[in-house]
Amino acid sequence: MGLLEMIQTGPRIEQHVANSKIVIDPFDRRCLNPNSYNYHLGPLVHRLNDGQVAETHDLRSAPLVLEPRTVYLGHTLERIGSEVYVTLLNGRSSLGRLGLFLNYSADLGHRGAVHCWTLELLAAHPIWIYFGMEVGQATFWSVAGAGPIYCGRFAQFDGPTPGLQSDLEWLG
Amino acid sequence: MILTGTEIMRCVASGDIEIDPFDRDLLTPNSYDLTFSGKLITYDAAVIDPLRETPTIDIPVPSDGVVLEAGRVYLASSHERIGSNMYVPMLKGRSSAARLGLFTHITADIIDLGFFGCITMQLYAVQPFVLRRGVSIAQLTFWTCEGDRTLYDGKYQGAAGPIASRSWLDGKGPGQ
Repeated sequence: MGLLEMIQTGPRIEQHVANSKIVIDPFDRRCLNPNSYNYHLGPLVHRLNDGQVAETHDLRSAPLVLEPRTVYLGHTLERIGSEVYVTLLNGRSSLGRLGLFLNYSADLGHRGAVHCWTLELLAAHPIWIYFGMEVGQATFWSVAGAGPIYCGRFAQFDGPTPGLQSDLEWLG
Repeated sequence: MILTGTEIMRCVASGDIEIDPFDRDLLTPNSYDLTFSGKLITYDAAVIDPLRETPTIDIPVPSDGVVLEAGRVYLASSHERIGSNMYVPMLKGRSSAARLGLFTHITADIIDLGFFGCITMQLYAVQPFVLRRGVSIAQLTFWTCEGDRTLYDGKYQGAAGPIASRSWLDGKGPGQ
């Protein structure tokens, strides 16, 4: 019988961090929720223009106002991931309610990728962001069936990393 | 695993899932369609600061609907009170609304185990959108979970209408 696809509870996440099946580093058990972990915003934020990094801001020197209709890339403060469970990185409802959307399209983190994750940030309204704020939730899912783990380009990066047109395979 | 519509109905009958009021015509193969309560709010600030409370204004919803402006976030509540101590609810938009450029809850779709109340939906329209009371713009899915359960006991528990962000109550400042 294969493994069933189930979301891990907060206590189970804590167990798996202790036995290294899930990496959350640094880990603070106060950030556990019934079914997720609140991750924090890392220091560097890129503002993109035409797919290129136009400006980089370090939140440790000052907070930043995110403007609407602009692509920003941040990153998690924590290294997060697992070779056993699938990680989904999403926003928090407290910030979603303020119109701050995270990973609005691609929230799936492949099994095997363990690093500080790039966060796609979109602001509906001008909004302040701060270094170290609890900015999103990570959930962990057991998988059905065996398969390879991720070994792609983004796994090597711990800072915000833009995509490249060459990353998009043209199947035409 | 995601529950089927039939299983959702069985769990409502057994009390493992609360959907009140419940209408079996709103069941789908893997979800339940939530309806808009008619309660709508939006923010009233030039720049939002998550560390401080942001004032909101109530938006009246007349019988022929209200026009959602493009590019503004609105908070709408479900007519239904929902929750479960057994299965994790996850809120998704309905494709009928998404195909018209209305994003319903595009971040933070997971609802904590043990939350009970009306759902606050984040609405963001790519172009002006007419929203009417009673329409279904979101669907609720339910997922099994693995491990010991702890139940939600947070700042949005028991919501009876749309609740604006209470991020300023987080208690942990930046860099902490």
